[in-house]
Amino acid sequence: PADIRDAAQTRIRSPPAPITDVARLCVCDLLVAQCDVNCCCDPDCSAEDFSLFTSCSVPVVTGDSQLCSQKAAVYSLDVEANPPERIFKLIDQVNPSIFCIHATNYKQALYLKSPEIPTPENFDQLLDKFGGATFSAEPDSWNLDPDAQNPPDANETSRYEYGAPVQTEDAFLRLPSPVVSSWCSDANPAGFLVNQATKCIRSVSVEKCDSIQALSMLFYINSSILAVPKSSQMVNITVQSIVVQSLNGMRTLLSSSDVLRLPMVLDGLCINAVLGVNYHITHTDTGEIIEAAAAFVLGAISKEALSIEQSFEISFTQENTQPVPLSGNPGYVVGLPVRAGFQPQGYPFPAAFLNKHSQLTILHSTSTQDCLAAHGARAPVLFGYNMISGCKLRLTAAMKCQPLAQTLLDVLKGQSFPEYVASFGNSQAQDVLDWVPITQLLVSEQMISHTLQSSCQIPVSLGIEVKWTKYGSLVNPQAKIVNVTATITTTTLKQLPSGRERIIPITSSVVFTDISSPAEPSYKAWPTIDIKLPFDFFYPFV
Amino acid sequence: LSSLPLQILLYVNGIYYIFYFLATLAMIIYKSQVFSYPDDLLAPDLAVLFLMAVLEVPRSYLGFKGNLTEAEAPLGLSLGLTVGSVVLCVYLLLWQTYVLWADVLLNALLLSAYGLESGLKVTAIAAFVS
Repeated sequence: PADIRDAAQTRIRSPPAPITDVARLCVCDLLVAQCDVNCCCDPDCSAEDFSLFTSCSVPVVTGDSQLCSQKAAVYSLDVEANPPERIFKLIDQVNPSIFCIHATNYKQALYLKSPEIPTPENFDQLLDKFGGATFSAEPDSWNLDPDAQNPPDANETSRYEYGAPVQTEDAFLRLPSPVVSSWCSDANPAGFLVNQATKCIRSVSVEKCDSIQALSMLFYINSSILAVPKSSQMVNITVQSIVVQSLNGMRTLLSSSDVLRLPMVLDGLCINAVLGVNYHITHTDTGEIIEAAAAFVLGAISKEALSIEQSFEISFTQENTQPVPLSGNPGYVVGLPVRAGFQPQGYPFPAAFLNKHSQLTILHSTSTQDCLAAHGARAPVLFGYNMISGCKLRLTAAMKCQPLAQTLLDVLKGQSFPEYVASFGNSQAQDVLDWVPITQLLVSEQMISHTLQSSCQIPVSLGIEVKWTKYGSLVNPQAKIVNVTATITTTTLKQLPSGRERIIPITSSVVFTDISSPAEPSYKAWPTIDIKLPFDFFYPFV
Repeated sequence: LSSLPLQILLYVNGIYYIFYFLATLAMIIYKSQVFSYPDDLLAPDLAVLFLMAVLEVPRSYLGFKGNLTEAEAPLGLSLGLTVGSVVLCVYLLLWQTYVLWADVLLNALLLSAYGLESGLKVTAIAAFVS
């Protein structure tokens, strides 16, 4: 029994020896102990089987054709004979090329390499060699082998580089994001200088509310960030602000953000659960992180909810700078907001356009569709996107003209309607000529001829027309805003008999029109040779 | 008197060797691209080829000098170096990783040239000594 086991083991250890004799090699012999059809080299076929074949699927079996002279087995069917029989010939095939291999002292040159059979002894080594390229979701395994990565120079790791994961005390700064499906994965590191915003779903239950780590504020701020990779300088994550969201969606900013609010069960609800985190990291221009702040949105989870959507965002700012989001560089990019602003009074310039909080906006339609209950919802005007929105105004007899007109103007134009629009996506506030004034037009819907001057006009629609052109080179045209016109259309408010109501629609729209003239390719002028003889060229004669 | 056939043969051999060296180097490069030629087998083959080139320079020079000055010492030294070159040539003929048909031709030609040269050198030495 021991011998049989040893024999079996030795048999397993070495793979079967390869067949190199061309006379015994047959690639079409697929069925064991049965004759394959049209396979002339099959040893299982008898003479009667050969007489039924029509052709030979494998006519020649040779070794490597680059050898100067080698044996070849040639199979053919003699259809003349009755019955047809198979002819087998062993010939010497000669390669006439002068670069044929005459001899080789390297045995594996002409054969495929035999694979290594795994045994208990070499299994670990084979696993290390071939078992790699698997993704491990554990954050611990990330930092455990710093030597496995390229050993960096001492100078190189003294700062963060773009895309490098932001390291913290234990592993790295986590930005949970959906991986493969929409469920949150906590193993996504935040990359340095990579502004990201992610939304993912986490499964929750109200009973286990205080034990789910990802719902508590501590999970996101307890490990401090390393100021530079692999250093001992720590930057604590401070809580910048806490916003509490109620079950119906209303958000309230808490005045004091010092108190850490942990999730707990109250009245069948899980309160203080983290619904969103917004990280703001301040860095120096040498790649060192100096400040980190997190703004939280806490909410309540009801008993029926099985999952909640969490949103995470991270943004990086360089110290002592105020980042201004550009809408294009230099031409506007479709989909980015149109930049607008005001020019403060003061002549001569310096005129700095306050464009931080004044955007070109239009009325945002709400579900209630009531103009007076609109709550000031506005949507930013995005370049290239024609938009139309509106609401319904319920007119009653009791409404007075002037206050109504003013209210409607506010509803249409918003609180601070800008005066200037940037012509390029990256126009700076200091370049006054890069800003286009908004032309305001007032149009009356009806002919004024048969209405009295004193009758009431209320604005019913605002139409913003933005004319833009293509500017720059033919192959890479940049969008440039040339003209912005805001037209307010008014109509007369007819006095209603008491008790009656009328509903009129109020609309606002934005239209982008391309007024670029067709491009004319221009070519460089041919160089001219400007030769002028000096005036005293013909000196002795003239 | 200097041996004229030896002089002619030395001259022709020098030119043929340059051609042989370039052709063999080109063929080794060709083999490394077309066939599987691991680095630990490529290194010895290249080393032998370059060693032979390095030996060829003093061998040829000593042969010329010895024949023209009718001195037997340089000729004897050249003969010794020829033996070394012959050994390396036999290696390239028989024990190279891949021996192509062109390799066989070039090396056989070189071997026969060396053999003829050695014979003529021996007769020249005999003539100078006596």
